Parts: sequence; structure tokens; C-alpha cells
Amino acid sequence: MKKSFLTIVALVTISLTALAQKQATTKTHFKFFSTTPAENIEANNYAAVGAIDPSNGDVVFSVPMQSFEFEKALMQEHFNSKKFLDTKTNPKAKLTGKIANLDKVNFKKDGSYTAEVVGDLTINGVTNPVKEKATIIVKGGKISLASKFNITLADYKVAFKSGKPSTNIAKTVEVTVEANY
Amino acid sequence: MTIKKKNFKTLLILLGVGILIAVAVALYMFNKPARDVQSTKTDFSYKASEIVNEYLTDAKKANDKYLDEEGNSKVLEITGTVAQISEDFNHQKVILLKAATDKAGVNATFTKETNSHTQNIKVGDEITVKGVIRSGATYDKDLEMYENVTIDKSDIVSK
Repeated sequence: MKKSFLTIVALVTISLTALAQKQATTKTHFKFFSTTPAENIEANNYAAVGAIDPSNGDVVFSVPMQSFEFEKALMQEHFNSKKFLDTKTNPKAKLTGKIANLDKVNFKKDGSYTAEVVGDLTINGVTNPVKEKATIIVKGGKISLASKFNITLADYKVAFKSGKPSTNIAKTVEVTVEANY
Repeated sequence: MTIKKKNFKTLLILLGVGILIAVAVALYMFNKPARDVQSTKTDFSYKASEIVNEYLTDAKKANDKYLDEEGNSKVLEITGTVAQISEDFNHQKVILLKAATDKAGVNATFTKETNSHTQNIKVGDEITVKGVIRSGATYDKDLEMYENVTIDKSDIVSK
């Protein structure tokens, strides 16, 4: 009896410790969506690495920029080129943030929580402060995160001065993030 | 018909043909399909450890060597031990090739077309995959972990 009690205590301790530690994942999805009267452009990336630390609210994403896939090869080449995101020089985008309202997110209890993520976003080698809402879902001890926010390309020195891309790509693009930890 | 008129007519026809060709080329460029990585010639063949070490030694130099400005980066064949098999959000198989003693490995993402070729592969198998490099291995201080080399559009190379 005593032994089984100790086993239970040990198991609970282990699972709680596991929950309190930083969790990393590569099961992620980033989507860029741009809409203009000329056309809609979408790109998907399934190769980012993400980490979340329930103990201090740290949220990190590292996104390999060349993994964005477009419907048209030409768009993908524009996206990677020096004029746009210069992915050869800056192969990764990075988000480092903290959940500002960590007291409102209970990682130990199943539920859906709205987290305020405050931090820095680095794209194209340019870092800007960001503050975005993310939905954190805890289910059976597993954490997932989802968010949708807009970024202004000019803030990251991404701009086409002339030609087709300058009229067909929106000045502000929508970014969708999902991650299963 | 005078010679002048005839010349003018020839010029018009040539101009018309020229415009047609230009439009056809522009349409082709605009709708150019994505690069077929598997039918592209392999640029480099390595063991997983070799490319990982090259990146951990000098990432900038390695990026210069492997990454292309327009994203049409080098096509690699990587041989290594299967450390993990998973699936991404797009239902594509992801196989990590990593030696137990290495800090990082090579993460190969397959496609809807090549997913089925991974069916009989198990953790511990030694395999060779071909794919396009997307990013290199590095220690990320924010993630507090090593990131793997990532290759995409992968398929198994049978030897």
C-alpha cells in the first residue's frame, strides 16, 4: 500500500515537473497571407521550431525562411530574393516573447486561455517589438498555441519599390501561427 | 505592292510574332511550376554528421555555400541513422537523421508523393535521403537547444 502510494506521488511529481519545463516542438505551421485587388498570395511553412516554458511564460519560435512554399515558383523566388526577405543573408526569422498575463494561463488545467505575448520579432534582420494575442489550449497535459496577427512589411525593410510585386503584395500581411507542443 | 509597303508588312508580322513570344514567355515565367527537386542533379553527398559539423563550425560560410538567393538552394543526399519519425501539420513525414553522439542532425521533410516511401523505415535504420536544404544547424540561445539542418521535398535514395 505504502509502496503504491509512493509510486503515485513519484508519478505525479514527474508529470508536474514535465509540465513545468520548457517544451520544444517542430510540429508547427506558419502562414503568410497577402490580399490586394490584384491577387491573393499565400505561403505555408511547416518547418519552424518552437518552445514554450510554462514556468516563466517564455515563447520562442525560429522560422527557416526558405521553407515558405508558394503556389507559384516565381513568387517564391521573389520572396527569397535580396529585394524582399534576403533569405540567404537572413535564413531565419525569430520570435522571442513572454506571456505577460501568465497568471491567467493555467498550464496544469485543461482549458482555452488567451495569452498576451510581448516580445521581439526579427524578420529580414530587423527587430521590432511585438504584442500579440495567442490562444493557448491545454488538453490532457498537452499544450497547443494558435495566433493570428498582422505585420507591416515596411517595418522590416521589406518593400518592392516598383513593378508587379509592388502592386500585387499587400503592405500589411496576415500571419497565422499554430504549434502543438 | 511597292517595296516600302512590303517591308512595312514584314515589320508588322515580325512585331506581332515578337509580342506573341514575349507574352508566352511572360506567362510561362509567371506560371512556372515549383522546382522538381528529385529530378534535379544532386550537388553534394554527405553523412549527416559531416554537414552538421560544417554548420556548427562556420554557419555563415556554410550558408554561402548551400543557400541560394532565390531559394533554389543546393540539393543534398544525406546518409545517416534514423533517430525519429514524425509527421508535420501538412501530413508530411519527417525523418530525423542523427548520430547518437552528435549535437544536431538533419531533419528531412517528405511530400505527399514520397510519404509512402517511408513506410518500412524504422528508428535505427541507416538510410540515404535526397532533398533541398532550407536551413542549417545552429545552437539557438533562445530555444536553448541545437537546431537541425532542415531539408525539404525529400525522398529515399535506394542504393
